[in-house]
Amino acid sequence: MAKSIMIVDDSATMRKIIMRTINMSGLEFDRTEEAGNGAEALEKMGANPVEIMLCDVNMPEMSGTELVKKVREVSAYADTKIIMVSTESSQELIDNTIADGANGFITKPFTPEKFQEELSPYMK
Amino acid sequence: MIDQICLHDALLEGAKEVFETMVFMDIEESLETDQDIENWALLGSITFKGGMEGCLSFCSNVSCAKAIASNMLGLDANKEPSEEDVCDAIGEIANMLMGSVKARILDKFETLEVSIPSVVSGRKLENNLGDGANKILVKLNIEDKHVAELSLLYRENTK
Repeated sequence: MAKSIMIVDDSATMRKIIMRTINMSGLEFDRTEEAGNGAEALEKMGANPVEIMLCDVNMPEMSGTELVKKVREVSAYADTKIIMVSTESSQELIDNTIADGANGFITKPFTPEKFQEELSPYMK
Repeated sequence: MIDQICLHDALLEGAKEVFETMVFMDIEESLETDQDIENWALLGSITFKGGMEGCLSFCSNVSCAKAIASNMLGLDANKEPSEEDVCDAIGEIANMLMGSVKARILDKFETLEVSIPSVVSGRKLENNLGDGANKILVKLNIEDKHVAELSLLYRENTK
């Protein structure tokens, strides 16, 4: 099944590192998009929605937690899976973000195995 | 009051976790305390506040920083990372180190809010938190080729 993914992180270097880790995990996507913050991610979703979104928490303009809420307000994106990727690992943040509509949480530092574990349920 | 040995161990274990999983380089604590970072260096720092306030930093020379960025990005040996990638990689190292350390000590504090990382370059770089601050310095030997410094400057809030 064709799969598309968007990596949302304010660091271009971290976006490349995440893409490298996804490749190392063996997961393959037909289309990869990138965005530097939540506002840019929403704009790109409007033009061409993706099925999976990997999203940093702390970003300028629009944070990852705000982005989750905005995406969940749009019924057309109801099937988009959102996995947060962050160094922040407090249980309170994870619980709140999941309650807002995120589907998973990967903490940095991460491994290819972690991406495989979190993303493969959505690849079928 | 958090003890310095606990913080030292959290720093070292956090650094080992970050370098093992994200940088793919072996590190160990260098006991040669007179080893300094020579030449032009990069200093990645991140501040925190809450039950404890201060700054965590990672400092290495440019050659070491380039090796770290190359490994994180999986670049071929004949390809050099861009200046932006090198700075971003060192900022991200500071960010992930803070995350790892925070996860190890969070049970001792109610809150610990973390800033976004910043990176500066120059010679003989170090942060300063003023009088009365505690400092933990861990020197790292990276693959027997590079020396880097990891430091934690902090004050505990007793309010």
